[in-house]
Amino acid sequence: MNMEVKVSSLVKAYPKGEKVLKGIDLMIKKGDFFALIGPNGAGKTTLVRILTSLIAKDSGEFTIGNKNNQNDFFEIHKYIGVVSQENQLDPTETLENHLKFQGRLFSLSKEASEKRTSELIKIFKLVKEKNKKVNELSGGNKRRLHCALALVHEPKILFLDEPTVGMDPLVRENFWQIITELNQKDGITIFLTTQYLDEVDKYANEMALLINGEIHYSGSVEAFKESLKDSANISVEEQYLDYIKQLNLKEAYIYENSK
Amino acid sequence: MKIASRLLISRAIKKLIKEPAAPLMGFMMSLFFLLVYNAGIGGIGNLEVFGENGYLAFIFPITIISLSMGSASGAGQTLSLDMSSGYFKRLFYSPAPRWILVFAPIIADSLSSLFFTVILIIIGTIFGLPFQFGIISVLGVLLLSLLWSITLCGFSAGIQVRTGNHQSASVVTNAVFPLLFLSTTFLPRELIEAKWLIMVSWVNPVTYILEANRFLLGGTSSQIFFVIALLILLILSIISVMFAISSAKSIKIN
Repeated sequence: MNMEVKVSSLVKAYPKGEKVLKGIDLMIKKGDFFALIGPNGAGKTTLVRILTSLIAKDSGEFTIGNKNNQNDFFEIHKYIGVVSQENQLDPTETLENHLKFQGRLFSLSKEASEKRTSELIKIFKLVKEKNKKVNELSGGNKRRLHCALALVHEPKILFLDEPTVGMDPLVRENFWQIITELNQKDGITIFLTTQYLDEVDKYANEMALLINGEIHYSGSVEAFKESLKDSANISVEEQYLDYIKQLNLKEAYIYENSK
Repeated sequence: MKIASRLLISRAIKKLIKEPAAPLMGFMMSLFFLLVYNAGIGGIGNLEVFGENGYLAFIFPITIISLSMGSASGAGQTLSLDMSSGYFKRLFYSPAPRWILVFAPIIADSLSSLFFTVILIIIGTIFGLPFQFGIISVLGVLLLSLLWSITLCGFSAGIQVRTGNHQSASVVTNAVFPLLFLSTTFLPRELIEAKWLIMVSWVNPVTYILEANRFLLGGTSSQIFFVIALLILLILSIISVMFAISSAKSIKIN
């Protein structure tokens, strides 16, 4: 089977020795829409940062598109796109120049970079804003630009680390429309971490549940929903809460009390 | 990787051209030193210790040193902006090596300092600044200025990256500033009365840079100062760049 992401026995500890990731094993197929869920502090962002080579692992192995992280650092960066939680934008640059520069940074020719920039501006409905400086853009448009920048070099895998935090419902809907199209039409593999479990229900086909640095479930979204209550009608959110409650984790009670 | 490195260097230079406030402030401060001190106490240039070329050749080197200090305090302006906006982290996901993210602003800031040194030299020439060895003196002054700028900008950028605080760029300037007063900045050693100050000035690298410049401009100092200054600056600039690069490699992601 064609595996896009392979992770085995991945371990990461904080400097004081406390383990954040305690031997993670994961397999993600090419073209999957994969979601990683878990409570706050479970290690989701740490895992994404290791897989995107932002921070180093302590032990274990992983490959991204058959590229080994230790040897193919630059190749991996060309293979992946990353949409992180916070906007990482140059406020002094115009939207269009920002995208063009990103393309050039990834070795696209001037013409190719301009062409790709135009495409992305249309896809993300940013035509009217293209000459505006980033600090003049609305929050939603900044988020769109942030996402567009991750796609300039046409990555094969898109890492989305809680990408919809702070998005209004309309922008969110538009965002997912674009992402699902990229996944279904262009075959881009999606690796999503999110706290919004309805997003997992709607869009993901594969998922993993990470709690306290350990994978508690890995497989299809449908199988997860059936795994405890034996019913396909249950939502990911309900199943997740049931599972967390069984583990007697605080988060479930805080969540329920806040309802 | 080469393309990315080249692009990031040219981006850092363009950013400085677009927003030249920090290097301009450094330049204005240097010009202020040159005009005020030359006009205010230039008369003491008639003393024998200043040689035939008077006070201008004596005071001019301090303008060059303060210019680089000004650049270093605004150093990493691009770095600073990138860190505060989060764009710096985005660049981690690009094919550019991490060291170039810090090295590019150092190059831009040092080149900007070199550019303003040229302007200061032109202004100095209009005021009658002597060049003891002609064009060699000019090139020597530029070389010393460039190395001094690299030294300060390198430390400044490294500290910014290590602390994760983009406002720490001024730390280096603040640390170096007292050295100006513990040196032969305003008076030759012969006219300094406090013995402890004379002692301190001997171990102060700024003294050697000043004297090296004075040797090149007015010929009032010894050639050995130029050799020592060059060696000191070469070593310091290498250490500074290594520090900046190692800082970039050890960045901790929050």
